Amino acid sequence: MEAVLKNVAGTAELLAVASLSGEVERWEEPTVSRAFQWARYCEHLCRRFHDNPAIRRVIEKQLRVTNHGLRAAFAGYGDVSFSDLYRCQHLLLVGLLKNPQLPISVMKILFDAEQSEYQEVTGYCSRIIQCKSACKVLSPLADSSAVGADAEVQAEMLMERLGALLSRGGEARHILDSVPQGFEGAAGHFCVVIAAALLMKKNSSQDFLLDWLQKEQSVLEQMCSSLPSALIIELTKKQPKFRDAFCDLLKKWASDMEYSLSEGEWIQTRRNPTVSFDRLTEHFLGLFETCPSVRVDVEEELNALKMSDGDFDVRGLSVWGDLLSVFNKSV
Amino acid sequence: MLPTHPQSHPGSCFVHKYVHLDEMSQPQPLIQLPQTAERAPSAGELRFWLDKAVCWGQADGPDARKDASLHLSRLKDFLQQVLTHINNMSSTAETLKRLPLLGQFLGRLCWNPYVTADATGRRLLLQCLWGLYSEHPGNAVERTANQWIRKVLCQLATEEDDAQALMKKMDIPPKDYHLEVLRKMVALLQKSIGKSCSCLGDTNQRCACDNILATSEACVPLVTCPEAAPLISALLQQQVTCVRAALSEDFLDAVSSAYSSRCLSLEEQAVVSLWCHNLPSLEEAVLRLLDCALTYSGPIPQKQLEQSLLPKACAQHCSIFLVVNDIFRSILKQADGTECVKYFVGAFTGCFLREVALQQHQTSVSLKAMFPQSPQSLLLPLLTRPTEMPQQAWRRHLIWLSSSLQRLTQEEEHGDDNSSRSGRFHTVFEAWFLLVQCSHWVQVAVQLLVTSEPEDCAPLLWLLTFYHHPTNRGHHRALQLVRGKEAWDHLHSLFSVLDPPLPIDLLQSLVTLLSPQPQPPPLSPLLTLNLFVNFAVFLQQSLSASTEIVQMVLDRCGLVDGARWVLSSLQIRMNQGDCLSSDTERVHLRIRALQNTLTHMHVASSPAKE
Repeated sequence: MEAVLKNVAGTAELLAVASLSGEVERWEEPTVSRAFQWARYCEHLCRRFHDNPAIRRVIEKQLRVTNHGLRAAFAGYGDVSFSDLYRCQHLLLVGLLKNPQLPISVMKILFDAEQSEYQEVTGYCSRIIQCKSACKVLSPLADSSAVGADAEVQAEMLMERLGALLSRGGEARHILDSVPQGFEGAAGHFCVVIAAALLMKKNSSQDFLLDWLQKEQSVLEQMCSSLPSALIIELTKKQPKFRDAFCDLLKKWASDMEYSLSEGEWIQTRRNPTVSFDRLTEHFLGLFETCPSVRVDVEEELNALKMSDGDFDVRGLSVWGDLLSVFNKSV
Repeated sequence: MLPTHPQSHPGSCFVHKYVHLDEMSQPQPLIQLPQTAERAPSAGELRFWLDKAVCWGQADGPDARKDASLHLSRLKDFLQQVLTHINNMSSTAETLKRLPLLGQFLGRLCWNPYVTADATGRRLLLQCLWGLYSEHPGNAVERTANQWIRKVLCQLATEEDDAQALMKKMDIPPKDYHLEVLRKMVALLQKSIGKSCSCLGDTNQRCACDNILATSEACVPLVTCPEAAPLISALLQQQVTCVRAALSEDFLDAVSSAYSSRCLSLEEQAVVSLWCHNLPSLEEAVLRLLDCALTYSGPIPQKQLEQSLLPKACAQHCSIFLVVNDIFRSILKQADGTECVKYFVGAFTGCFLREVALQQHQTSVSLKAMFPQSPQSLLLPLLTRPTEMPQQAWRRHLIWLSSSLQRLTQEEEHGDDNSSRSGRFHTVFEAWFLLVQCSHWVQVAVQLLVTSEPEDCAPLLWLLTFYHHPTNRGHHRALQLVRGKEAWDHLHSLFSVLDPPLPIDLLQSLVTLLSPQPQPPPLSPLLTLNLFVNFAVFLQQSLSASTEIVQMVLDRCGLVDGARWVLSSLQIRMNQGDCLSSDTERVHLRIRALQNTLTHMHVASSPAKE
């Protein structure tokens, strides 16, 4: 264990040197190769002790100590955590490439296409670029579904990993919990990936995902706000649990609406972003079209709610009444 | 697909390239690439390509992609020009002064996946960037360029997009992630290609096959990407049931050159499919195998023939066999049939026939379809292997073959109708070609000559002479037959000598027949050599006596390599069971002993492969 801790500390130092110090000026191919070997070793450690909380804690403790020291030694040092070590090679690479002191000869080796004895290092970046570009070239051809090939592939990976974790009896929530929330970029993409995951061939991880979704209302809400209607309809067709959750969400949205006299329309005041009344009815009608049985239940429920609101037929008094009248018009 | 009539196929236009094979150390490229002029790229050209790059970056539809893929090859040529220009300039500042848009251009290309996925494109692009990097920047322009280059490279290798934020949470390192995504995407596409065609010939309907052309075009830059190999294999092997399931020509060319330069590994069936789709790749494979055979230090081993996959491909697709034979014909006509090429053709055909026998249960192609140009009456007699016939029948069989061939040649020579002369010559050539393909019978003839009586030699000698001298140019055949009989007589006498010393005059006559002459002698020395070695092996004489004779003769005429060759080919035949096997073990021993002797002899530089 001593040796392991020493090596972890050493690798953290290595990362710091690679990215922040002028030492790299003297690095040559064998040095770089050794550096990557150490990084790979740490990645291996991570995978090995991933399910061992006790050892993980010990390593994290060591990292805290090392970080403290390195912070003092290097200006601009960023702490390294246990989970960072999963991508240790990547961190090393980023550090090196961003370090202005890295000799151009070393950069050339990393991007070179020729073979050499330092197989892991030569052309390391070239391979990455090749992979990324190949994906970009092929992805438009594989776009057979509404979600796109990228999301499909990532969904597959997500489900595989969830499945692996669950079968080992490990904690799987953290993968989903720590995803960035919000409405920009990564979060929006995550919604598409979840949709793709739920549209996949039936597998055991989907139940876990659906349960998690039901608890994480905010993600569910974001999905239903940002995804295209056609996709949502697909989801309701394929996953009954999702359909129920979606239905509940629509009702919740409706109950948050207030009638605005100035606009002559039902609007949401406390949410962000808002859902319009028209969109809400669109969602409902789309849902009814694909699952007619739901219509009966929903109308019954809404009727009961309308009655509790006073059972008026005047527009603007009960959101339930207004919804029902829209439904009746579209019969 | 390949046309079925061999004589009119496009391959015949490549005939003129199949010359001087003995002098070639590498197969000539069948398509000569034009040398890009080493002139500097003009600002106008750069502008053109920059506009293209901008266009490809902005639009993302199938048209933009198709355009990028179609222009890839010319773009790479242009990049090479740019690279040369950059290297010729003395400084980056000067380069950028001449071509101010260069930075923008290269920068845009960095984000074009077609350029960066392609091995050559990527290499050229990176080399251009290195070329612009200044070790000792002398001014602001160069310093900025340096910074920019570092930044771009860092971004290219490490930039993460939205999707990768998710991947971070899954604790997958980026490099593994990209690999896995690529593999899964390849698997997705492979599945969609496997889907059978549903359009039933209705050209207005959309068809699953529409994607195939686009996919093949997209795979052009990916031929050297190992993860894409399964997809490429699948594309090559997909059933051609639909008119729209076409593969792009660029794709076939790219796959062919990647495969032949060993940058791409394909499954066996994919290679065979490639040859079916793309004639130049088949031709190149044949020439490469032939070159291999010619540079091998002995007769090419059967294993190597099999490993080339060509015999198997020929057995699976008759059309491939026809093309291969056309190539053989061209070579034999041009190079006047060197011994090695003739042997190779025979060995190849033997391997092919074995593959056909293995395939019999699957397809049944008639002999006529496989050998459409050969005289039909000779087909079955020649293709039947000696092992398929009782040994006692061999002599009679060979006599029949010999007389049939003699008749054919006589018809050719004595025909007085000029207009059909070429037709008859064609028949003789085809008969001879078939004999070359079935050279096992020629070797049996040589072997039988060893144990023949003098009065029984004639038909066998005629066959042998015809094999080595198919055309009766200058009407030398009569003389050749006389010489052949002389050689036989000398050998017969020499090897019958019971006590030493060996008669010098006999030895000398033999050596004269075997030695290279200032003008081509009427009889090929290789015929005599073949006969000579067979005498040494098969005659019931003491090994030491035979060995002595062999040593003395070869000492004087120097054809040690040639003799070794004959021994090796005898050994191969023994292993295949084509020889008189009354005392196989003894023959094996004799061959080995003689080989030993030859190895220890000083090898005079003798052009054995004449």
